[in-house]
Amino acid sequence: MALLEVTNLVAGYGKVEVISDVSFTLEPGKSIGIVGPNGVGKSTLLQAIAGGIAPKGGSIIFDGKNIAGKKPEDIVRLGLSLVPEGRQIFSGLSVKENLALGLTGRRNKKGANEAILKMRELFPVLSTHENHQAGMLSGGQQQQLAIARALISEPKVLLLDEPSLGLAPTVITDVFERLQEIIGMGTAVVIVEQRANLVTSFAEKTIVIRDGKVQATLTPADAANSESLQRSYFGAGE
Amino acid sequence: MVQSILDAISLGGLYSLAALGLGLVFGVMRLVNFAHAELITIAAYTLVLTAQFPLALSLIFTVLVTVFVALLMEFSVYRRLRGVNPAVMLIASFGLSIVLQRVYELMFGALPRSAAVAPFLRGDFKVAGLSITISSVITIVLTITILLAMGYLVEKTSLGLQLRAASADFKTARLLGVRSNRLISAAFGLSGVLAACVALILVIQNPQISPYYGLNITILSLVGIVIGGIASLRGAALGGFIVGVVLSSLNTLLGNGRVYAYSWLFILVLVILLVRPGGLLSKGSELERV
Repeated sequence: MALLEVTNLVAGYGKVEVISDVSFTLEPGKSIGIVGPNGVGKSTLLQAIAGGIAPKGGSIIFDGKNIAGKKPEDIVRLGLSLVPEGRQIFSGLSVKENLALGLTGRRNKKGANEAILKMRELFPVLSTHENHQAGMLSGGQQQQLAIARALISEPKVLLLDEPSLGLAPTVITDVFERLQEIIGMGTAVVIVEQRANLVTSFAEKTIVIRDGKVQATLTPADAANSESLQRSYFGAGE
Repeated sequence: MVQSILDAISLGGLYSLAALGLGLVFGVMRLVNFAHAELITIAAYTLVLTAQFPLALSLIFTVLVTVFVALLMEFSVYRRLRGVNPAVMLIASFGLSIVLQRVYELMFGALPRSAAVAPFLRGDFKVAGLSITISSVITIVLTITILLAMGYLVEKTSLGLQLRAASADFKTARLLGVRSNRLISAAFGLSGVLAACVALILVIQNPQISPYYGLNITILSLVGIVIGGIASLRGAALGGFIVGVVLSSLNTLLGNGRVYAYSWLFILVLVILLVRPGGLLSKGSELERV
């Protein structure tokens, strides 16, 4: 059974409908990529799933429950965590405090210390800087902090909005290696990316969104074929 | 001279407590809760009306009543307006303020209500030949205690961490699991506790309670928040303190010219805002957020 099942989702801001019909499923411990041109509603889609905005239609079944329209603080407690676009770490708070905030979303208050230790193992750089202001970290370190902060609630599904944004290529490789480890530990991952090549080769399947709808589903094999990638991205014959 | 300095410090401390109460709510809701004045007023009425009880009992009762009114404000008005334009919330807070003043007038009458609250705290004592009022010392001790307790709460506890995070970015805080309703209620509750503390100190000095009792101090601590930096609690506390100290000093220094104390105060505010438009404790980036 799918862990996350999004069906005919409609979402937007005010009267503007950005996402008009998006469906996909995600199995436990798997990964899915979401690509598409700028401004197509990829972030809107993630915000609607995580509760940042209320969907206008469709359903989002997570772990057997419809979570469409629930509050973000309740959704994270069910086990679905979002790393928002631009990382959104609390730059005025210390690295330690940022991580501690991640604990608020835990269903089980026991095991908090273990969860923090686990994140320090996964992202050693966070231990070195734990008392520094998070705003002093480099972009890559901030991204690691944002991911660690979201993982501390031990989600079943981790949503990432453009984790590569503003990072140097070597750092991006590093971040995606960590994501691979995270998936290996059993967390399912949804990655929104501008870099279609990167995510298509990384995720088990990747959906292409354009005009508010899913236009194509790609597999890692398509990443090598830049022509099919371009066609699904920009539409045939354009 | 010593008494003037003590007066200045105690008035500064009092204003910083009032500013903290406003700053807490502003932090989580981006709301300048003008009706904070009415929290101070209801606390003052409660103190005066329960003056015949033992002081401890009267204090507990006052805190309970004030926190209840603060939570009621949040639940009945501000919760319905969450997410709307901050200007709408500000106007709603003016409306709420006026409504509550009328309610107090109906309940307690337009004439001042008075009673001796903690009469043993009036009068003065002598140190090295200098006469010092007990109330100024009590005010300073109380203020320092409350400020330290608030500092501990904000810097060291989980609730404090959530308050700081939500003040910086409420949306992200919620994504991490911070419960919005609970946190906003907590901020209002705390602002109620602070209002009760402010009222206690005010009432010791001036026990003539009218429906507008809390208005003056609230307006002046708002000024303090603006010059301190609206985005941080430290800034709010510092700004409130500065306004209190300056006002008290002006009253002493100007002698018969003290009617102009407010004018001088606002000239100072203008100068501070010209030099540091985001407030004394702002970093450049906070300016665009406000």
